[in-house]
Amino acid sequence: MADKAFKIYYLSEMAVTVEFGQKIAENLLKAVNSLNELLYRQPFTGFHTTVPAYSTLTIFYDPVLVIRSNLPGAGCFEKVSAYLNDLNLQKKTDNAIKGDTIIIPVYYGENFGPDLEEVASLHQISTGDVIKLHSAATYKVYMIGFVPGFAYLGGMDERLATPRKATPRPSVPAGAVGIAGHQTGVYPMETPGGWQIIGQTPVKLFDENREQPSLLKPGDTVMFKRIDLNEFNELSTG
Amino acid sequence: MQIRILKPGLMSTIQDMGRYQYLSQAVPVSGAMDTLSARIANKAVGNQDHAAVIEFTYADAEFISETDLLIAYAGDGAILQANEQKLPVSRPLFIPSGTTIKLTHNPSGIRIYLAVAGGWDVPEILGSRSTFLTAGFGGLDGRALKKADIIKSDESMSTCTQKILFSLKNDQINYPGWSIPRQCFLPVDRKTIMVVPGNELGWFDARSIVGFLSAPYIVAQQSNRMGYHLEGAALHRIKKDELLSTAVMPGTVQVTGSGSMVLLMADCQTTGGYPRIAQVAAVDMPLCAQLKPGDAIYFKEISRSEAEVLYIEREQQLQQLTTAVQSKY
Repeated sequence: MADKAFKIYYLSEMAVTVEFGQKIAENLLKAVNSLNELLYRQPFTGFHTTVPAYSTLTIFYDPVLVIRSNLPGAGCFEKVSAYLNDLNLQKKTDNAIKGDTIIIPVYYGENFGPDLEEVASLHQISTGDVIKLHSAATYKVYMIGFVPGFAYLGGMDERLATPRKATPRPSVPAGAVGIAGHQTGVYPMETPGGWQIIGQTPVKLFDENREQPSLLKPGDTVMFKRIDLNEFNELSTG
Repeated sequence: MQIRILKPGLMSTIQDMGRYQYLSQAVPVSGAMDTLSARIANKAVGNQDHAAVIEFTYADAEFISETDLLIAYAGDGAILQANEQKLPVSRPLFIPSGTTIKLTHNPSGIRIYLAVAGGWDVPEILGSRSTFLTAGFGGLDGRALKKADIIKSDESMSTCTQKILFSLKNDQINYPGWSIPRQCFLPVDRKTIMVVPGNELGWFDARSIVGFLSAPYIVAQQSNRMGYHLEGAALHRIKKDELLSTAVMPGTVQVTGSGSMVLLMADCQTTGGYPRIAQVAAVDMPLCAQLKPGDAIYFKEISRSEAEVLYIEREQQLQQLTTAVQSKY
Protein backbone atom coordinates (compact mmCIF):
# COMPACT_ATOMS: atom_id res chain seq x y z
CA MET A 1 0.00 0.00 0.00
CA ALA A 2 2.63 2.43 -1.19
CA ASP A 3 0.52 5.46 -2.06
CA LYS A 4 -1.04 5.81 1.39
CA ALA A 5 -4.43 6.47 -0.16
CA PHE A 6 -6.13 5.19 2.96
CA LYS A 7 -6.61 5.83 6.65
CA ILE A 8 -6.75 3.19 9.39
CA TYR A 9 -8.94 3.76 12.43
CA TYR A 10 -9.92 1.85 15.57
CA LEU A 11 -13.37 0.26 15.66
CA SER A 12 -12.94 -1.91 18.76
CA GLU A 13 -10.42 -4.12 20.61
CA MET A 14 -10.91 -6.69 17.86
CA ALA A 15 -11.42 -4.65 14.70
CA VAL A 16 -9.84 -1.86 12.67
CA THR A 17 -11.31 -0.11 9.65
CA VAL A 18 -9.34 0.85 6.54
CA GLU A 19 -10.96 3.84 4.81
CA PHE A 20 -10.12 4.54 1.17
CA GLY A 21 -12.37 7.55 0.69
CA GLN A 22 -15.76 8.96 1.53
CA LYS A 23 -17.82 8.55 -1.60
CA ILE A 24 -19.55 5.87 -3.64
CA ALA A 25 -17.26 5.17 -6.57
CA GLU A 26 -16.17 2.14 -8.53
CA ASN A 27 -12.45 2.75 -7.91
CA LEU A 28 -13.07 2.65 -4.13
CA LEU A 29 -15.08 -0.55 -4.51
CA LYS A 30 -12.04 -1.97 -6.33
CA ALA A 31 -9.63 -0.82 -3.62
CA VAL A 32 -11.78 -2.40 -0.89
CA ASN A 33 -12.10 -5.60 -2.87
CA SER A 34 -8.35 -5.83 -3.61
CA LEU A 35 -7.37 -5.45 0.03
CA ASN A 36 -10.02 -7.99 1.02
CA GLU A 37 -8.68 -10.58 -1.43
CA LEU A 38 -5.11 -9.88 -0.46
CA LEU A 39 -5.84 -10.36 3.25
CA TYR A 40 -7.53 -13.70 2.65
CA ARG A 41 -4.51 -14.79 0.56
CA GLN A 42 -1.96 -13.46 3.05
CA PRO A 43 -3.64 -13.33 6.47
CA PHE A 44 -1.71 -12.14 9.54
CA THR A 45 -1.60 -14.20 12.75
CA GLY A 46 -4.98 -13.80 14.47
CA PHE A 47 -6.83 -12.59 11.33
CA HIS A 48 -10.48 -13.50 11.66
CA THR A 49 -12.83 -12.01 9.06
CA THR A 50 -13.74 -8.81 7.18
CA VAL A 51 -16.72 -6.57 6.50
CA PRO A 52 -16.43 -4.74 3.16
CA ALA A 53 -18.53 -1.57 2.77
CA TYR A 54 -18.75 1.24 0.15
CA SER A 55 -15.34 2.74 0.82
CA THR A 56 -14.09 0.85 3.87
CA LEU A 57 -12.85 -2.60 4.76
CA THR A 58 -13.18 -3.55 8.41
CA ILE A 59 -10.83 -6.26 9.60
CA PHE A 60 -11.69 -8.44 12.61
CA TYR A 61 -9.01 -10.31 14.55
CA ASP A 62 -8.35 -12.18 17.78
CA PRO A 63 -6.43 -9.74 20.02
CA VAL A 64 -4.96 -12.58 22.10
CA LEU A 65 -3.24 -14.02 19.01
CA VAL A 66 -2.29 -10.63 17.54
CA ILE A 67 -0.60 -9.42 20.74
CA ARG A 68 1.58 -12.57 20.81
CA SER A 69 2.61 -12.16 17.15
CA ASN A 70 5.96 -10.67 16.23
CA LEU A 71 4.51 -7.79 14.21
CA PRO A 72 6.04 -4.47 15.27
CA GLY A 73 4.07 -2.29 17.70
CA ALA A 74 3.07 -2.19 21.36
CA GLY A 75 -0.63 -2.97 20.98
CA CYS A 76 -2.91 -4.87 18.60
CA PHE A 77 -4.00 -1.74 16.76
CA GLU A 78 -0.37 -0.80 16.05
CA LYS A 79 0.55 -4.35 15.04
CA VAL A 80 -2.35 -4.76 12.62
CA SER A 81 -1.75 -1.23 11.23
CA ALA A 82 1.91 -2.08 10.67
CA TYR A 83 0.92 -5.20 8.77
CA LEU A 84 -1.59 -3.30 6.60
CA ASN A 85 0.90 -0.51 5.88
CA ASP A 86 3.45 -3.05 4.68
CA LEU A 87 1.09 -4.91 2.33
CA ASN A 88 1.96 -4.32 -1.27
CA LEU A 89 -1.50 -3.48 -2.52
CA GLN A 90 -0.37 -1.23 -5.35
CA LYS A 91 0.19 -3.99 -7.89
CA LYS A 92 -3.27 -5.39 -7.46
CA THR A 93 -5.51 -2.33 -7.59
CA ASP A 94 -5.59 -2.19 -11.40
CA ASN A 95 -7.07 -5.65 -11.71
CA ALA A 96 -10.75 -5.86 -12.47
CA ILE A 97 -13.02 -7.27 -9.75
CA LYS A 98 -13.82 -10.92 -10.27
CA GLY A 99 -17.54 -10.46 -9.85
CA ASP A 100 -20.28 -12.67 -11.26
CA THR A 101 -23.24 -11.54 -13.36
CA ILE A 102 -26.52 -12.50 -11.77
CA ILE A 103 -29.92 -12.19 -13.39
CA ILE A 104 -32.80 -11.73 -10.96
CA PRO A 105 -36.23 -12.61 -12.38
CA VAL A 106 -38.97 -10.20 -11.25
CA TYR A 107 -42.73 -10.17 -11.53
CA TYR A 108 -43.56 -6.46 -11.68
CA GLY A 109 -46.78 -4.88 -10.46
CA GLU A 110 -50.16 -6.05 -9.20
CA ASN A 111 -50.07 -7.74 -5.78
CA PHE A 112 -46.33 -8.27 -6.09
CA GLY A 113 -45.61 -4.59 -6.75
CA PRO A 114 -48.22 -2.55 -4.88
CA ASP A 115 -46.36 0.75 -5.43
CA LEU A 116 -45.70 0.37 -9.17
CA GLU A 117 -48.64 2.62 -10.12
CA GLU A 118 -47.62 5.26 -7.60
CA VAL A 119 -44.02 5.33 -8.85
CA ALA A 120 -45.24 5.62 -12.46
CA SER A 121 -47.69 8.45 -11.76
CA LEU A 122 -45.11 10.33 -9.66
CA HIS A 123 -42.78 10.42 -12.65
CA GLN A 124 -45.65 10.83 -15.14
CA ILE A 125 -44.66 7.77 -17.13
CA SER A 126 -46.47 4.48 -17.72
CA THR A 127 -45.99 1.43 -15.49
CA GLY A 128 -44.52 -0.26 -18.58
CA ASP A 129 -41.87 2.48 -18.74
CA VAL A 130 -40.97 1.96 -15.07
CA ILE A 131 -40.52 -1.76 -15.73
CA LYS A 132 -38.48 -1.07 -18.87
CA LEU A 133 -36.18 1.42 -17.14
CA HIS A 134 -35.73 -0.84 -14.12
CA SER A 135 -35.02 -4.01 -16.10
CA ALA A 136 -32.84 -2.38 -18.78
CA ALA A 137 -30.16 -1.08 -16.43
CA THR A 138 -27.02 -2.92 -15.31
CA TYR A 139 -26.40 -2.69 -11.58
CA LYS A 140 -23.27 -3.07 -9.49
CA VAL A 141 -23.27 -4.56 -5.97
CA TYR A 142 -21.42 -2.11 -3.72
CA MET A 143 -21.93 -3.77 -0.38
CA ILE A 144 -24.00 -6.21 1.65
CA GLY A 145 -25.59 -4.83 4.82
CA PHE A 146 -28.81 -4.04 6.71
CA VAL A 147 -30.06 -7.66 6.89
CA PRO A 148 -28.39 -10.91 5.75
CA GLY A 149 -28.02 -10.91 1.96
CA PHE A 150 -29.27 -7.35 1.34
CA ALA A 151 -27.27 -5.80 -1.51
CA TYR A 152 -26.75 -2.06 -1.93
CA LEU A 153 -26.93 -1.63 -5.73
CA GLY A 154 -25.60 1.25 -7.80
CA GLY A 155 -26.69 2.08 -11.33
CA MET A 156 -30.41 2.76 -11.21
CA ASP A 157 -31.78 5.09 -13.90
CA GLU A 158 -32.12 8.55 -12.30
CA ARG A 159 -35.60 8.85 -13.81
CA LEU A 160 -36.79 6.25 -11.29
CA ALA A 161 -35.50 7.99 -8.16
CA THR A 162 -38.46 8.05 -5.75
CA PRO A 163 -38.70 9.05 -2.08
CA ARG A 164 -39.45 6.36 0.48
CA LYS A 165 -43.05 5.83 1.57
CA ALA A 166 -44.21 8.35 4.17
CA THR A 167 -45.27 5.48 6.46
CA PRO A 168 -43.21 2.28 6.34
CA ARG A 169 -45.10 -0.98 5.94
CA PRO A 170 -45.06 -3.17 9.05
CA SER A 171 -44.12 -6.11 6.85
CA VAL A 172 -42.57 -6.43 3.40
CA PRO A 173 -42.31 -9.97 2.01
CA ALA A 174 -39.03 -11.73 1.20
CA GLY A 175 -38.12 -11.10 -2.44
CA ALA A 176 -39.81 -7.68 -2.66
CA VAL A 177 -38.05 -5.38 -5.15
CA GLY A 178 -38.07 -1.77 -4.05
CA ILE A 179 -36.90 1.75 -4.79
CA ALA A 180 -35.78 4.27 -2.15
CA GLY A 181 -34.24 7.54 -3.30
CA HIS A 182 -31.56 6.75 -5.87
CA GLN A 183 -31.30 3.13 -4.80
CA THR A 184 -33.00 -0.08 -5.73
CA GLY A 185 -32.78 -3.37 -3.88
CA VAL A 186 -34.37 -6.67 -2.97
CA TYR A 187 -35.55 -7.58 0.55
CA PRO A 188 -33.97 -10.96 1.41
CA MET A 189 -36.40 -11.67 4.22
CA GLU A 190 -39.67 -10.47 5.62
CA THR A 191 -39.02 -7.23 7.53
CA PRO A 192 -40.73 -3.88 8.09
CA GLY A 193 -39.77 -1.51 5.28
CA GLY A 194 -40.35 1.91 3.75
CA TRP A 195 -39.21 1.28 0.17
CA GLN A 196 -41.57 1.66 -2.80
CA ILE A 197 -42.30 -1.93 -3.82
CA ILE A 198 -42.56 -2.40 -7.60
CA GLY A 199 -42.22 -6.18 -7.91
CA GLN A 200 -41.12 -9.44 -6.39
CA THR A 201 -38.58 -12.13 -7.21
CA PRO A 202 -39.12 -15.82 -6.47
CA VAL A 203 -35.35 -16.21 -6.06
CA LYS A 204 -33.95 -16.49 -2.54
CA LEU A 205 -31.45 -13.68 -1.89
CA PHE A 206 -30.31 -15.39 1.30
CA ASP A 207 -30.44 -19.04 2.26
CA GLU A 208 -28.51 -20.19 5.33
CA ASN A 209 -28.40 -23.72 3.86
CA ARG A 210 -26.50 -22.67 0.72
CA GLU A 211 -22.73 -22.85 0.59
CA GLN A 212 -22.67 -19.13 -0.16
CA PRO A 213 -25.77 -18.02 1.77
CA SER A 214 -25.95 -14.56 0.18
CA LEU A 215 -26.79 -14.75 -3.53
CA LEU A 216 -24.92 -11.49 -4.15
CA LYS A 217 -21.50 -10.21 -3.11
CA PRO A 218 -19.69 -6.90 -3.60
CA GLY A 219 -18.45 -6.48 -7.17
CA ASP A 220 -21.20 -8.61 -8.75
CA THR A 221 -23.20 -7.28 -11.71
CA VAL A 222 -26.97 -7.58 -11.39
CA MET A 223 -29.71 -7.41 -14.00
CA PHE A 224 -33.46 -7.68 -13.45
CA LYS A 225 -35.51 -9.70 -15.94
CA ARG A 226 -39.27 -9.35 -16.26
CA ILE A 227 -41.15 -12.64 -15.89
CA ASP A 228 -44.82 -13.62 -16.08
CA LEU A 229 -46.91 -15.36 -13.45
CA ASN A 230 -46.27 -18.87 -14.83
CA GLU A 231 -42.54 -18.36 -14.68
CA PHE A 232 -42.86 -16.89 -11.19
CA ASN A 233 -44.77 -19.93 -9.95
CA GLU A 234 -42.39 -22.37 -11.63
CA LEU A 235 -39.37 -20.67 -10.08
CA SER A 236 -41.06 -20.49 -6.66
CA THR A 237 -41.69 -24.22 -6.51
CA GLY A 238 -38.34 -25.08 -8.07
CA MET B 1 -29.38 -35.25 29.33
CA GLN B 2 -32.71 -33.63 28.58
CA ILE B 3 -35.06 -30.95 29.86
CA ARG B 4 -38.63 -29.99 28.97
CA ILE B 5 -39.77 -26.38 29.10
CA LEU B 6 -42.83 -25.94 31.31
CA LYS B 7 -42.91 -22.13 31.07
CA PRO B 8 -40.70 -20.37 28.51
CA GLY B 9 -40.43 -16.93 30.13
CA LEU B 10 -40.32 -13.62 28.29
CA MET B 11 -37.47 -14.35 25.88
CA SER B 12 -35.43 -17.51 26.12
CA THR B 13 -33.10 -18.47 23.30
CA ILE B 14 -30.17 -20.78 22.70
CA GLN B 15 -26.91 -18.85 22.20
CA ASP B 16 -23.19 -19.41 22.08
CA MET B 17 -20.19 -17.11 21.58
CA GLY B 18 -21.60 -15.82 18.29
CA ARG B 19 -21.43 -16.11 14.54
CA TYR B 20 -18.45 -14.24 13.10
CA GLN B 21 -17.72 -15.94 9.79
CA TYR B 22 -20.58 -14.43 7.78
CA LEU B 23 -20.42 -10.78 8.85
CA SER B 24 -19.51 -9.88 5.25
CA GLN B 25 -22.91 -11.23 4.16
CA ALA B 26 -24.60 -9.07 6.81
CA VAL B 27 -25.26 -11.96 9.18
CA PRO B 28 -25.07 -10.43 12.69
CA VAL B 29 -22.80 -11.72 15.45
CA SER B 30 -25.70 -12.77 17.74
CA GLY B 31 -24.61 -15.00 20.63
CA ALA B 32 -24.93 -14.48 24.37
CA MET B 33 -25.49 -10.83 25.32
CA ASP B 34 -23.50 -11.37 28.54
CA THR B 35 -20.64 -13.51 27.26
CA LEU B 36 -18.90 -13.39 30.66
CA SER B 37 -21.80 -15.15 32.41
CA ALA B 38 -22.27 -17.61 29.55
CA ARG B 39 -18.58 -18.55 29.71
CA ILE B 40 -18.62 -18.88 33.50
CA ALA B 41 -21.64 -21.21 33.34
CA ASN B 42 -19.84 -23.34 30.73
CA LYS B 43 -16.58 -23.41 32.68
CA ALA B 44 -18.42 -24.51 35.84
CA VAL B 45 -19.48 -27.76 34.14
CA GLY B 46 -16.14 -28.28 32.38
CA ASN B 47 -17.40 -27.23 28.93
CA GLN B 48 -15.57 -25.19 26.34
CA ASP B 49 -16.62 -21.54 26.38
CA HIS B 50 -18.43 -21.75 23.05
CA ALA B 51 -20.80 -24.58 24.05
CA ALA B 52 -24.44 -23.63 23.52
CA VAL B 53 -26.28 -22.21 26.56
CA ILE B 54 -29.84 -21.04 27.15
CA GLU B 55 -30.20 -17.28 27.65
CA PHE B 56 -33.19 -16.51 29.90
CA THR B 57 -34.43 -12.91 30.07
CA TYR B 58 -35.93 -12.01 33.47
CA ALA B 59 -37.40 -14.82 35.58
CA ASP B 60 -40.85 -16.39 35.24
CA ALA B 61 -39.63 -19.51 33.45
CA GLU B 62 -39.74 -23.14 34.51
CA PHE B 63 -38.38 -26.45 33.25
CA ILE B 64 -38.21 -30.09 34.37
CA SER B 65 -35.26 -32.48 34.17
CA GLU B 66 -36.26 -35.52 32.13
CA THR B 67 -32.96 -37.23 32.91
CA ASP B 68 -30.29 -36.68 35.55
CA LEU B 69 -28.58 -33.37 34.78
CA LEU B 70 -25.25 -31.69 35.31
CA ILE B 71 -25.93 -27.97 34.82
CA ALA B 72 -24.63 -24.58 35.93
CA TYR B 73 -26.05 -21.10 35.64
CA ALA B 74 -24.55 -17.63 35.88
CA GLY B 75 -25.71 -14.05 35.50
CA ASP B 76 -28.29 -11.83 37.17
CA GLY B 77 -32.02 -11.56 36.72
CA ALA B 78 -33.09 -14.88 38.14
CA ILE B 79 -32.26 -17.44 40.80
CA LEU B 80 -32.85 -21.10 40.12
CA GLN B 81 -35.00 -22.86 42.66
CA ALA B 82 -35.97 -26.52 43.01
CA ASN B 83 -38.96 -26.98 45.31
CA GLU B 84 -38.10 -24.44 48.01
CA GLN B 85 -34.35 -24.91 47.69
CA LYS B 86 -32.32 -22.08 46.13
CA LEU B 87 -29.61 -23.35 43.82
CA PRO B 88 -26.27 -21.55 44.00
CA VAL B 89 -24.92 -19.68 40.96
CA SER B 90 -21.66 -20.22 39.07
CA ARG B 91 -21.15 -23.77 40.26
CA PRO B 92 -21.88 -27.26 38.87
CA LEU B 93 -25.26 -28.62 40.01
CA PHE B 94 -26.30 -32.26 39.88
CA ILE B 95 -30.08 -32.46 39.42
CA PRO B 96 -31.90 -35.83 39.51
CA SER B 97 -34.42 -36.73 36.84
CA GLY B 98 -37.94 -35.42 37.47
CA THR B 99 -36.96 -32.22 39.30
CA THR B 100 -38.93 -29.06 38.48
CA ILE B 101 -36.75 -25.96 38.42
CA LYS B 102 -38.18 -22.45 38.63
CA LEU B 103 -36.52 -19.15 37.82
CA THR B 104 -37.37 -16.66 40.55
CA HIS B 105 -36.85 -12.93 40.23
CA ASN B 106 -33.52 -11.30 41.06
CA PRO B 107 -33.60 -7.52 40.54
CA SER B 108 -29.86 -7.05 40.04
CA GLY B 109 -29.95 -7.79 36.32
CA ILE B 110 -32.00 -9.38 33.57
CA ARG B 111 -30.14 -12.29 31.94
CA ILE B 112 -28.96 -15.66 33.16
CA TYR B 113 -27.27 -18.43 31.21
CA LEU B 114 -27.94 -22.12 31.68
CA ALA B 115 -25.16 -24.48 30.66
CA VAL B 116 -25.39 -28.27 30.54
CA ALA B 117 -22.64 -30.90 30.48
CA GLY B 118 -21.57 -31.14 26.81
CA GLY B 119 -23.62 -28.09 25.73
CA TRP B 120 -27.19 -27.95 24.40
CA ASP B 121 -27.47 -29.97 21.24
CA VAL B 122 -28.83 -27.88 18.37
CA PRO B 123 -27.41 -27.87 14.84
CA GLU B 124 -24.61 -25.51 13.95
CA ILE B 125 -25.84 -23.02 11.33
CA LEU B 126 -23.20 -20.89 9.59
CA GLY B 127 -20.66 -21.84 12.21
CA SER B 128 -22.71 -21.12 15.32
CA ARG B 129 -25.59 -22.49 17.43
CA SER B 130 -26.87 -18.98 18.26
CA THR B 131 -30.49 -18.10 17.57
CA PHE B 132 -31.02 -15.18 15.19
CA LEU B 133 -34.72 -14.39 15.39
CA THR B 134 -35.00 -11.86 12.54
CA ALA B 135 -33.88 -14.37 9.93
CA GLY B 136 -35.33 -17.34 11.81
CA PHE B 137 -32.28 -19.57 11.97
CA GLY B 138 -29.97 -21.01 14.61
CA GLY B 139 -30.78 -22.28 18.09
CA LEU B 140 -33.96 -24.31 18.31
CA ASP B 141 -35.59 -23.97 14.85
CA GLY B 142 -34.60 -20.29 14.69
CA ARG B 143 -37.06 -19.24 17.38
CA ALA B 144 -37.42 -18.49 21.08
CA LEU B 145 -38.20 -21.43 23.38
CA LYS B 146 -41.82 -22.28 24.00
CA LYS B 147 -43.82 -24.51 26.30
CA ALA B 148 -43.25 -28.27 25.83
CA ASP B 149 -39.95 -27.82 23.95
CA ILE B 150 -37.58 -30.67 24.67
CA ILE B 151 -33.90 -29.75 24.64
CA LYS B 152 -31.15 -32.35 24.74
CA SER B 153 -27.50 -32.06 25.54
CA ASP B 154 -24.61 -33.14 23.36
CA GLU B 155 -23.54 -36.51 24.77
CA SER B 156 -19.84 -35.95 24.09
CA MET B 157 -18.36 -34.58 27.32
CA SER B 158 -14.87 -33.36 28.13
CA THR B 159 -12.80 -35.40 30.59
CA CYS B 160 -13.24 -32.61 33.12
CA THR B 161 -17.04 -32.70 32.71
CA GLN B 162 -17.07 -36.47 33.20
CA LYS B 163 -15.05 -36.14 36.41
CA ILE B 164 -17.35 -33.40 37.77
CA LEU B 165 -20.39 -35.54 36.99
CA PHE B 166 -18.84 -38.63 38.61
CA SER B 167 -18.00 -36.67 41.78
CA LEU B 168 -21.53 -35.25 42.16
CA LYS B 169 -23.75 -38.12 40.97
CA ASN B 170 -26.30 -38.83 43.66
CA ASP B 171 -30.00 -39.52 44.20
CA GLN B 172 -30.66 -35.93 45.20
CA ILE B 173 -29.55 -32.40 44.30
CA ASN B 174 -25.84 -32.12 44.88
CA TYR B 175 -23.10 -29.53 44.33
CA PRO B 176 -19.54 -28.89 45.45
CA GLY B 177 -18.31 -26.30 47.95
CA TRP B 178 -16.55 -24.20 45.32
CA SER B 179 -17.98 -21.72 42.86
CA ILE B 180 -16.54 -19.39 40.24
CA PRO B 181 -16.34 -15.88 41.71
CA ARG B 182 -18.02 -13.93 38.89
CA GLN B 183 -18.08 -10.79 41.06
CA CYS B 184 -14.26 -10.63 40.74
CA PHE B 185 -14.79 -9.65 37.11
CA LEU B 186 -17.34 -6.96 37.87
CA PRO B 187 -16.62 -3.44 39.10
CA VAL B 188 -18.32 -2.19 42.27
CA ASP B 189 -20.08 0.45 40.17
CA ARG B 190 -21.86 -1.50 37.46
CA LYS B 191 -23.57 1.55 35.99
CA THR B 192 -20.46 3.35 34.74
CA ILE B 193 -19.55 2.07 31.30
CA MET B 194 -16.08 2.55 29.85
CA VAL B 195 -15.94 3.78 26.24
CA VAL B 196 -13.26 4.53 23.66
CA PRO B 197 -13.92 7.62 21.46
CA GLY B 198 -15.58 6.67 18.16
CA ASN B 199 -14.31 7.67 14.73
CA GLU B 200 -16.96 10.41 14.38
CA LEU B 201 -16.65 11.84 17.91
CA GLY B 202 -15.35 15.06 16.34
CA TRP B 203 -18.63 15.49 14.45
CA PHE B 204 -20.23 16.69 17.71
CA ASP B 205 -19.81 20.00 19.50
CA ALA B 206 -17.68 20.23 22.64
CA ARG B 207 -20.68 20.70 24.93
CA SER B 208 -22.33 17.57 23.60
CA ILE B 209 -19.15 15.56 24.14
CA VAL B 210 -18.76 16.84 27.72
CA GLY B 211 -22.42 16.01 28.33
CA PHE B 212 -22.00 12.54 26.86
CA LEU B 213 -19.16 11.83 29.29
CA SER B 214 -20.81 13.29 32.40
CA ALA B 215 -24.61 13.22 32.20
CA PRO B 216 -26.73 10.15 32.97
CA TYR B 217 -28.43 8.26 30.14
CA ILE B 218 -31.50 6.13 30.73
CA VAL B 219 -32.05 2.79 29.01
CA ALA B 220 -35.36 3.21 27.15
CA GLN B 221 -38.22 0.73 26.92
CA GLN B 222 -37.33 0.34 23.25
CA SER B 223 -34.40 -1.95 23.99
CA ASN B 224 -33.76 -5.50 22.89
CA ARG B 225 -31.05 -7.87 21.66
CA MET B 226 -30.41 -5.61 18.65
CA GLY B 227 -29.74 -2.47 20.66
CA TYR B 228 -30.72 -0.10 23.45
CA HIS B 229 -32.16 3.34 22.89
CA LEU B 230 -30.67 5.74 25.43
CA GLU B 231 -32.57 8.76 26.71
CA GLY B 232 -30.66 11.82 27.81
CA ALA B 233 -29.24 15.11 26.63
CA ALA B 234 -29.49 15.36 22.83
CA LEU B 235 -26.17 15.54 20.98
CA HIS B 236 -25.52 18.37 18.56
CA ARG B 237 -23.48 17.97 15.44
CA ILE B 238 -21.04 20.47 14.02
CA LYS B 239 -20.35 18.29 11.00
CA LYS B 240 -23.54 17.53 9.14
CA ASP B 241 -22.15 15.17 6.49
CA GLU B 242 -23.86 11.91 5.73
CA LEU B 243 -21.80 8.96 6.87
CA LEU B 244 -21.44 6.34 4.14
CA SER B 245 -22.61 3.01 5.53
CA THR B 246 -19.69 1.20 7.13
CA ALA B 247 -19.11 -1.58 9.65
CA VAL B 248 -20.52 -1.34 13.17
CA MET B 249 -20.57 -4.00 15.87
CA PRO B 250 -21.94 -4.78 19.32
CA GLY B 251 -20.79 -1.97 21.62
CA THR B 252 -20.93 0.75 18.98
CA VAL B 253 -22.78 3.88 20.19
CA GLN B 254 -24.52 5.55 17.25
CA VAL B 255 -26.21 8.93 17.21
CA THR B 256 -29.36 9.01 15.06
CA GLY B 257 -30.61 11.93 12.96
CA SER B 258 -32.65 13.34 15.84
CA GLY B 259 -29.58 13.39 18.12
CA SER B 260 -30.57 10.43 20.27
CA MET B 261 -28.28 7.52 21.02
CA VAL B 262 -28.44 3.82 20.29
CA LEU B 263 -26.07 1.32 21.89
CA LEU B 264 -25.76 -1.65 19.53
CA MET B 265 -25.99 -5.10 21.09
CA ALA B 266 -25.51 -8.74 20.00
CA ASP B 267 -28.07 -8.93 17.17
CA CYS B 268 -27.17 -5.55 15.64
CA GLN B 269 -26.73 -4.95 11.91
CA THR B 270 -23.24 -5.38 10.54
CA THR B 271 -23.20 -1.94 8.91
CA GLY B 272 -24.69 1.43 9.77
CA GLY B 273 -24.79 4.98 8.49
CA TYR B 274 -25.07 6.99 11.70
CA PRO B 275 -22.01 8.71 13.21
CA ARG B 276 -20.36 6.67 15.94
CA ILE B 277 -19.58 8.70 19.03
CA ALA B 278 -18.02 5.85 21.01
CA GLN B 279 -17.31 2.15 21.33
CA VAL B 280 -18.03 0.44 24.65
CA ALA B 281 -14.99 -1.40 26.05
CA ALA B 282 -15.49 -5.12 25.37
CA VAL B 283 -14.94 -5.94 29.06
CA ASP B 284 -17.96 -3.76 29.93
CA MET B 285 -20.38 -5.33 27.44
CA PRO B 286 -21.45 -7.94 30.03
CA LEU B 287 -22.50 -5.03 32.28
CA CYS B 288 -24.56 -3.55 29.44
CA ALA B 289 -26.18 -6.95 28.86
CA GLN B 290 -27.60 -6.85 32.39
CA LEU B 291 -29.13 -3.36 32.07
CA LYS B 292 -32.89 -3.03 32.04
CA PRO B 293 -35.19 -0.26 30.84
CA GLY B 294 -35.13 2.60 33.33
CA ASP B 295 -31.53 2.03 34.48
CA ALA B 296 -29.34 5.15 34.47
CA ILE B 297 -25.80 4.78 33.17
CA TYR B 298 -22.76 7.04 32.83
CA PHE B 299 -20.02 6.84 30.23
CA LYS B 300 -16.36 7.13 31.15
CA GLU B 301 -13.66 7.66 28.54
CA ILE B 302 -10.64 5.36 28.35
CA SER B 303 -7.99 5.14 25.65
CA ARG B 304 -7.77 2.62 22.85
CA SER B 305 -4.73 0.99 24.42
CA GLU B 306 -6.33 0.81 27.87
CA ALA B 307 -9.31 -1.00 26.35
CA GLU B 308 -7.00 -3.45 24.59
CA VAL B 309 -4.98 -4.17 27.75
CA LEU B 310 -8.18 -4.73 29.75
CA TYR B 311 -9.45 -7.12 27.10
CA ILE B 312 -6.26 -9.18 27.04
CA GLU B 313 -6.07 -9.28 30.86
CA ARG B 314 -9.68 -10.45 31.01
CA GLU B 315 -8.99 -13.24 28.51
CA GLN B 316 -5.98 -14.37 30.55
CA GLN B 317 -8.04 -14.43 33.76
CA LEU B 318 -10.74 -16.46 32.05
CA GLN B 319 -8.14 -18.91 30.76
CA GLN B 320 -6.81 -19.30 34.31
CA LEU B 321 -10.34 -20.11 35.49
CA THR B 322 -10.51 -23.08 33.13
CA THR B 323 -7.22 -24.34 34.52
CA ALA B 324 -8.44 -23.80 38.09
CA VAL B 325 -11.63 -25.84 37.50
CA GLN B 326 -9.65 -28.65 35.84
CA SER B 327 -7.15 -28.74 38.70
CA LYS B 328 -9.93 -29.56 41.17
CA TYR B 329 -10.59 -32.93 39.49
